[in-house]
Amino acid sequence: MARFSVPTKARLPSSLRVDSSNPAVIKSLNRLSREALISLALSWLDGDTIANAVPYLERRSDEDEIDPDDVYPPCESVQQLYELYVDMQQQKGSKRDVANRILEGDWRHGLSLYQLAMVDFYHLEEHPMSQKWTAYKILPLKPPTKGVEDEVLRVDDKALSVPRFHPSTFLQSLQDQVLPDIKAHYHFHRPKDLPVLLLRIFVIESPYNSSLALSGVTGSGEATNFTSSRTVYLAFPDGSSHIYITKSQANGPATGGESRSLQNLIIQGVPKALSRPRERYTLKPTNLTSRNLETLLDKRGPGRGNAAGGGWSIYASEKNKKSPLDAVLPSPPLSEDSSLSDKSRKRLKPLNSVQRAAKRAKLVAQARFGDSGLVNDGKGIERIDVLLEDPFPTSVAAEKLGWGKDKGDAPAEASVSARRRTIDAALRQTGDVDEEELNDPKNPSQWKPTVQITFQGNHVFAGIRQLAEAGIIDGERMPGWMTGEDGVTLGIVRHGRIKGNKGSGL
Amino acid sequence: MDPTLDELQVDPLDEEIASLKQQGKFLTLKVECSTILSSPSIQEALLSSLNPQPSPKSAALRPRKPRKPVERDEQRLLERSKQQEAYNQQCLYRIAASVTAFKVRDPDPSAVDGGHVLGLRFEIMTRGHFLQPYYVMLNRPYPGNPKFLRIHRHTVPPAIPLPGLAARHLPAPKQQTEDRGEEGTLPSPPKQDIERFVKSLRREIMRYHNRLGVSADLRRSLGAHSSHGLMAADGSLPPNAIVDVSIADTEAKQIRLTWADERNGRLVMDDDGRVVKFMVFGAEGRDWETTRQLGESQGHVEDVAKMLEQFAAGRES
Repeated sequence: MARFSVPTKARLPSSLRVDSSNPAVIKSLNRLSREALISLALSWLDGDTIANAVPYLERRSDEDEIDPDDVYPPCESVQQLYELYVDMQQQKGSKRDVANRILEGDWRHGLSLYQLAMVDFYHLEEHPMSQKWTAYKILPLKPPTKGVEDEVLRVDDKALSVPRFHPSTFLQSLQDQVLPDIKAHYHFHRPKDLPVLLLRIFVIESPYNSSLALSGVTGSGEATNFTSSRTVYLAFPDGSSHIYITKSQANGPATGGESRSLQNLIIQGVPKALSRPRERYTLKPTNLTSRNLETLLDKRGPGRGNAAGGGWSIYASEKNKKSPLDAVLPSPPLSEDSSLSDKSRKRLKPLNSVQRAAKRAKLVAQARFGDSGLVNDGKGIERIDVLLEDPFPTSVAAEKLGWGKDKGDAPAEASVSARRRTIDAALRQTGDVDEEELNDPKNPSQWKPTVQITFQGNHVFAGIRQLAEAGIIDGERMPGWMTGEDGVTLGIVRHGRIKGNKGSGL
Repeated sequence: MDPTLDELQVDPLDEEIASLKQQGKFLTLKVECSTILSSPSIQEALLSSLNPQPSPKSAALRPRKPRKPVERDEQRLLERSKQQEAYNQQCLYRIAASVTAFKVRDPDPSAVDGGHVLGLRFEIMTRGHFLQPYYVMLNRPYPGNPKFLRIHRHTVPPAIPLPGLAARHLPAPKQQTEDRGEEGTLPSPPKQDIERFVKSLRREIMRYHNRLGVSADLRRSLGAHSSHGLMAADGSLPPNAIVDVSIADTEAKQIRLTWADERNGRLVMDDDGRVVKFMVFGAEGRDWETTRQLGESQGHVEDVAKMLEQFAAGRES
C-alpha cells in the first residue's frame, strides 16, 4: 500500500488490489462457473501474470502463528498452490467452494484490478450475449484549413486512407483524453474464437491512482468509490474500420444520464485517440446494435458481407464460388435440389396446388434471403426498430400492395417511451443525412401516421424468413428491409426503403 | 414390347450413374456431359432431330415413330446445350477480362429504377487459382438524372477504400433546386466516370491481393526455413530465427515479424510493395543494431525476405 497519494492523471495500475470483501468483487466471481473459476486461478498463477495476481502465501517466519481456525491454510509456494488448483480441476465440487477459496483463502488480501478484468472477460466468454454492442464506423476527417479557428471538421468522403489501429498507441492517447478526476484501468483481451480485440475500460471517480482510489476516503464505508465505477467494453475487429462499443455498466445504482455521459465521453475520446498528427478521424453510428458479436463481425466486419445482406449474400458467400475454368454448367441457385433429384422426382406424381404454393414460397424465400437468415447460422439480431414514414395506403392501394399485413407481425409493445427516445434520436440523426427527400411534394390529402414496428426474438430475420417460407408473408411483396439487407437495427422507412441508406451501406 | 425394352435399357444407365456417384466420379461425368453438350456436332444432331422434315440420315438414327417423351427430352437437351454455350461464353470473358459486367434484378418490390441493377465482377487470382470474385452492384437512384449511378451493394472488403473511390469517380448529381441559389457559379456539374472508377478500384483490389500474397510468401519462406533448416539439436530455435509473420493492419501494408528471442519487427510497405519503413524492437526498446543490419535492403519485400533468411542463418553459426 502506498504511503501517500497525490492527485495524478496516470492510469490505475493493474496490480492495485480491491478488497475481497467488496460486494462487487464477490458478485462478479459468483457469476462464473466452477470450471471457469479454476482455470482462471490457474492462469493467475501462471508465470507471466503472477506479478499482477500475487496470491497470499505463508511466510516462513510466522510459521508459529498459524491460525487454527483458518479454513484455507495458506500454501507455501506458488507451485504448491498451482498443484492444488489442478487437483481441484479433477475433483468434483461446488462452485461456491472455489469462489470462497479464492476470496477468503488464497487471495484474501484482495483481488487486483487485473484479476477483476480477467474475471469479467471469462464471464463474457461464458455468456457472449451479456453485452449489447453498438457498431460505429471510423471515418477520416478533412484536414483543417490553416488559420481558421474552431471550424467544424467535415468528413472527408474522398479520402483513400483506411484507418489503422495500434493498441498501445491508442491506449496512450486515450489516457491523455481522460479527465484528472477520473481514473481508469484498461485491459486488452483477445477471445479465442473471434477475430476481434476487446478492451475493457474500468472507470472510477477519484483523483488518486493508488489504493486510496478504491478504498474511498469519505469514511462512510469501503465500497463508496466502487459503486460509482463503470465498465465499458470496446471491440476492435481485425481488418475492419469499425469499432463496437457497449453501454457502460455501473456497479452501484446509476442514473441514466450519468452512464450516457460516460458513453459520450468515450465516443468523443476514441476518435481522438485513433487520430494522429495530420490524420483525424471521427466515429459515426451505423444504426446497428446487437448482443451478438458474430452478427456485428458479419455486418460490420472484415469480410464481404458488410454491404451485401439479405438476398445479396449469395454474392458474398464462398459457397457459390465458381471458377471460370470450371465449364460445368452451374445449376441455378434456386433449382439446386430439383436438378439433383430430377430422376426421383420424375416418378413422383405431380404436386397439387398446395404443395406447389409451398414450394414456391420456399423458393421465393431463398431468393429474397439467399444464405442469410438461417435459424442456426449464429448471426441472430434480437431487435429491429423500424419507423414507417410512408403515407397510409388507401384501400385501393392496400389491395394492390398488400401492405397492412406487415403491421400484424409486430408484437404489441408496452415500453413505448424508451423506444420512442431511440427512434427520435435516429430521426434527428438521419434528418441531416438525407437531402434528396426534402423536395418531396407534400400532399396534404395523404394521411401519414407514425407507425413504429419492432421485431423481437432470438433471430429476427430467421423468423421472418420462416414466415415467408410458410407463406404467411408474401415473399415477393415483402419490402427489402424485412430481409435484413440494409444491415441496420434501427431505421426509418420512406418509399419502402430504409431512408438515408438507399441500400448502399457506404 | 417397346416400353419394356426401353425400361431395360434405362436401368443399366441408372445403375452406371449410381455406381459412378459412389466412386466419386460424378464430377468427371458432369464435365464429360458439359463437353458433349457444348460440342457443335451434338447441337446439330439435336437440331436436326427436332426438325419436322426428316432427312434420311436422321430418320435412320431415330426410332420410326417419334413419341412425345423423346421429343421433350431432346427439347430439354437442346435448351441445356444453349445454356451451356452461354455459360461457356461467360467463362471465356471472365478468364480473358478481369472485370466483367452483368445485369441483376433487385428483388425488393420498392427498389429504385424498377430494380435494374448493374453488377460488376472483379476477378482475383492467387497462385494460379481463381478466387471468389468481388462484386459491386450499381443502381440509378436519381430520378432527375437517369444516367447517374450509385453503389447499391458490394462485397469488397473494408481494406479497399471503396467509399473514397466512389466519391471521386461517381459523385452524386447536384441538387438543382438547392444549389442554384448558393453555388450558381459552379464551374461544372459533377461528372461520373465509371471507367476510371472501375480501373482504380481494380488496381486497389489487385494491390491488396498482391500485398496479401507477399506476406503469405514471406511467411511460407521464413516459416519453412525456421522449422527445418535451423532447428538446433536440442529442438530449440536460434535467436535470429523468425517464428511468426503476420499482417498487422487492415490494408495489409504492415507485416509484423517475431523472432525466436521475442524481438519484434514491423515492416511497412507502400502501394507497390516497396519497403518504406522497417524497425525492430527488442526487450529494451528499439533494436538499432538489427535494424541497421537489415535496413540496408531498401527495396521490395522479397529482398527483405532474402536478407532475413541470411540474417537468421548467418549470426547463428
